[in-house]
Amino acid sequence: MTKTLRIGYIPLVDSALLHVARAYDFAAAEGLDLDLVRETSWANIRDKLGVGIFDAAHMLAPSAMAVCLGLGYIEIPLVAPVALGLDGNAITLSRPLYAEVMSIAEGDPADPYVTAQALAKIVAKRRADSAAPLTFAHVFPFSTHHYQLRLWFSAGGLESKTDVNLIVVPPPFMVESLRSGVIDGFCVGAPWNGLAVEAGVGYIVHRGRDIVRNCPEKLLAFRADAASADPDSVKALSRAIRAAADWASDKNHIEDLAYLLSQDAGLHVPIELLCAILDPEREPKVKTATIRLDRAATFANPAHADWLYAQMRAAGQVADGQDAKARSVYRPDLAGDAHFEPAETLKLEVFGRIKN
Amino acid sequence: MDVDLRIVVIDKNPLRAAVLRDGLREAGHCEVIHIDDTSDILARVNALTPDVIIIDLESPSRDVLEQMFEVSRTMDRPIAMFVDNSDTSMINAAIDAGVSAYIVDGLRKERVKPILDITIRRFNAFTKLKDELESTKLQLEDRKAIDRAKAIVMKAKSIPEEQAYAMMRKTAMNENKKIADVARSIIMAAELLR
Repeated sequence: MTKTLRIGYIPLVDSALLHVARAYDFAAAEGLDLDLVRETSWANIRDKLGVGIFDAAHMLAPSAMAVCLGLGYIEIPLVAPVALGLDGNAITLSRPLYAEVMSIAEGDPADPYVTAQALAKIVAKRRADSAAPLTFAHVFPFSTHHYQLRLWFSAGGLESKTDVNLIVVPPPFMVESLRSGVIDGFCVGAPWNGLAVEAGVGYIVHRGRDIVRNCPEKLLAFRADAASADPDSVKALSRAIRAAADWASDKNHIEDLAYLLSQDAGLHVPIELLCAILDPEREPKVKTATIRLDRAATFANPAHADWLYAQMRAAGQVADGQDAKARSVYRPDLAGDAHFEPAETLKLEVFGRIKN
Repeated sequence: MDVDLRIVVIDKNPLRAAVLRDGLREAGHCEVIHIDDTSDILARVNALTPDVIIIDLESPSRDVLEQMFEVSRTMDRPIAMFVDNSDTSMINAAIDAGVSAYIVDGLRKERVKPILDITIRRFNAFTKLKDELESTKLQLEDRKAIDRAKAIVMKAKSIPEEQAYAMMRKTAMNENKKIADVARSIIMAAELLR
């Protein structure tokens, strides 16, 4: 008997494994029919999972943790048996700010410390000139995009709350906001950085992985009560996601995957750009963020919860002593027989220093 | 009622926003301002200093409002999502209706509930009306497609109208499809072969 699962997602490259699981019958092989519902905001994803309109969701890992901690919303225990990928973000600067950073950078501009020091000089100069502070955008208060920007600023000794404006801009408005000068830079997931570059409004200064390598991104989240009521569906979907990851990380499937994303996930982006994001070995026309969608990248690693909780603490979003609750989201044990410890090294590295 | 609340409605559907504004005005809320969903929403909301923000769930700008509970230099007044642990049915009803609400910190929930009640009712009524209109429009489009396909079949096979219609209906039944879908296939094929 087939069971239908309604799953909410945001049109991003890292919704890929859900689309592969559905389109290439990995879900069907597990007796699941996936009803994938495109959403317009992370708040909608959270709310609709919370009230049970969705059975599961493509969710920002820190957003899932925030729901468990009752931050900004009703407290609802959520669990994630698998992750949906690693990396994929990038920081893009407006053309004038990029040029300014590059002109005063002392050292290798591929080093985030070098660019952050340059940025700090620009911030200080603007303050001396009584000019408006620089404005940077990310996608949600509880997002790695937010934390990656904060980490980059801190490498230049900048404090996010006082030295710059940090705001949320929905990805579909990012390129336009950069063009109009509402913002001077942003951190967002694929494919939006590549689109800004192609539109000629900005340049990628750093890929997310230059700041945090193997950075946790989206989780496949369930309500904890629903997951314990139907553990078999959780296991079945986890197996389907793992099978989809094997398929997606086969180099021969990159173009098929890019096509699938442009059709099913509604990413109206040039296929060539999607291929560059999906295949780090390909020489892209423009520098772009790359993403990991392989089997190891689907491991819901509890060490990620600890690191994310530390970022939430640093951002002043959560009080001390709630680590256990924050950690409760990461439940690789619920993936059942799909559970495994990744064989290859999957260490989370911040500025090249290993964190776990 | 004590001081009137200033309500900002963010909705890209101006018709629905007007329907909601009328409803809120009937209930005595005169300060209802509709703004479109654009990239500079934060600055506009800040300038309006609303007590209540109502936003349709289709708007990507919901995530912009989500940052408002974090006190920052970009926000003048902290704003919280309207959630009430004691009444989750209200939240469910709002999400079902496709709408969400944010309130300025410190505003009593009892003052906001009637506003959200009206909003949910108006959103649901609007959806029902829209569905009815769409279904009428669809029926009309089906009718047109069937007529066009019928003409194609009549011309191609030199048969009268009833016979052409009977053929299409038979095909639809055999293929387990709607006759309008069969008609659309015929039109598409005719265009390809032209």
